[in-house]
Amino acid sequence: MKFINTIVVQTGRNLQKTWPSQFMTLLTVSLSVLIFSFFFLIYTNMINTGEKLGDDLRLTIYLEEEPVLEMQAQLVKKITNFSPVEEIRFTSRQEAYDSLAKQLGENVDVLDDLDPSFLPPSIEVYPKKNLSTLAEIKKFSEYLTTLPGAIKVQYGQEWVERFNYFTKLLRAIVILSGILLIMTTTFMVAYTIRLAVLARQAELEILRLLGATNNYIRTPFLIEGFLQGVFGSSLGLLALYFLYRWIKLNFTGPGILQLVNFTFFTPAIMAIIIFASVVLCIGGSFSSMRKFMRI
Amino acid sequence: MDTKPTDTPIIEIVRATKIYSPDVVALENVSLSIPYGEMLFLTGMSGAGKTTLLKLICGIEHPDKGLVEVAGKDLDRIKNKEIPRLRQQIGMAYQDFKLLADRTVAQNIGMAMEVAYQNLKTIKKRVIELLQKLRLEHKHDALAGRLSRGEQQRVAVARAVANSPALILADEPTGNLDSKSTKLVMDLFRECNKRGTTVIIATHDESIFKDTDHRVLELQSGRLLQQDDRTISALNNMP
Repeated sequence: MKFINTIVVQTGRNLQKTWPSQFMTLLTVSLSVLIFSFFFLIYTNMINTGEKLGDDLRLTIYLEEEPVLEMQAQLVKKITNFSPVEEIRFTSRQEAYDSLAKQLGENVDVLDDLDPSFLPPSIEVYPKKNLSTLAEIKKFSEYLTTLPGAIKVQYGQEWVERFNYFTKLLRAIVILSGILLIMTTTFMVAYTIRLAVLARQAELEILRLLGATNNYIRTPFLIEGFLQGVFGSSLGLLALYFLYRWIKLNFTGPGILQLVNFTFFTPAIMAIIIFASVVLCIGGSFSSMRKFMRI
Repeated sequence: MDTKPTDTPIIEIVRATKIYSPDVVALENVSLSIPYGEMLFLTGMSGAGKTTLLKLICGIEHPDKGLVEVAGKDLDRIKNKEIPRLRQQIGMAYQDFKLLADRTVAQNIGMAMEVAYQNLKTIKKRVIELLQKLRLEHKHDALAGRLSRGEQQRVAVARAVANSPALILADEPTGNLDSKSTKLVMDLFRECNKRGTTVIIATHDESIFKDTDHRVLELQSGRLLQQDDRTISALNNMP
């Protein structure tokens, strides 16, 4: 208890003396956390959207001729042998025509001069959720084109590929901003502690002569690092939350955000971000002390 | 460190030599044995080696040759972990005071007790008590950097005795004091000594040891001029 009291007093005194540099470090940590979390938030939401799209993914195989029942059973067998699927649905020429007519609604008369059998028959394949990577979808699609009577396979290739590249780009940005967070947080905290140590060199020397233990000298600096981590990251996350609210309020109309169910971090992820920041800040503080205090 | 006298002396120095680079001999072949509870005066001109000897005793400097033992511990072989504990038991009043100019008088004195994790109430009480004894109570909240040299010297003495250490080392503790303040400081040292604390005062101020019953040892050009019986006997017992 005496140790804690003494250390709290000592830390308070340090913070009081070095608050301008402490404040700047706090802002730097907050900004780093904000930048990283911003990209991370977009990334996690994109991943969620990707999963959601994956749920709705279907591959349409257009056929030359309508398969007879026996042929249908054979096709189902061939497809399921290659990969397990959720559902396989056959659409005849007439069903395709009816569906298009339904979609056209009031404009159905455009079909008047057309032969009801002008649309090709098709098979709709709904893959299982484990078939989620672009490479797997491509492989499955390539296999489906080899089925007897298949003309073409469609699954919105262009869109899925673009989405996939965008997710990859975001992942790279998240990693880069993560590195930025690690570097700025560690270096800034280390630099602040270094300045504090240098500014208090005389005091630390006297404390050593009076019999201060390494813990007595070291602990307040570690607490400073801890506080920088906790408050810096919390401030960064709070700023991100306000940004998130603003985006939600201003972009709720039709568009990409309607497709993406834009959600904020779960408490567990926020705790992990705060914990990581605290570890980085304490690490920066510790490394600085090892260098400049020789303890 | 215990303040009770035992058979082992609190300080044992055997043929200690200290040479500062390149070839300044600060101490040469100094041997000294000081029992628990003694009050001792080290005299000699400036540069005689008094400060160096005190620095060897509190472990700030190490001898190039010879042995320095404090409370039975060889300071050359003491573990790093044990040094703070030992220093908490040694109160040193430095010749250059070593006060923090931007801290108050009370904070400067309290530091010695804070590092020993004393509680704040005890620290406050002790600081006030010492300031009263040294007639500095009105300077409680004054910044140390704004005090006169004499006042700073008394604060340095107060800090040295604050933690009730087993050993007090005072380097020229009356160098900047008038006769009244000198008496206050010496009374404080005597009071500590009466309680069992070993006190070593390095000084060239003859007035403070003129009529004393305590041992007075003189250093001259890094050598101890007189060796008393106790030291000679300790030397003879060395392997």
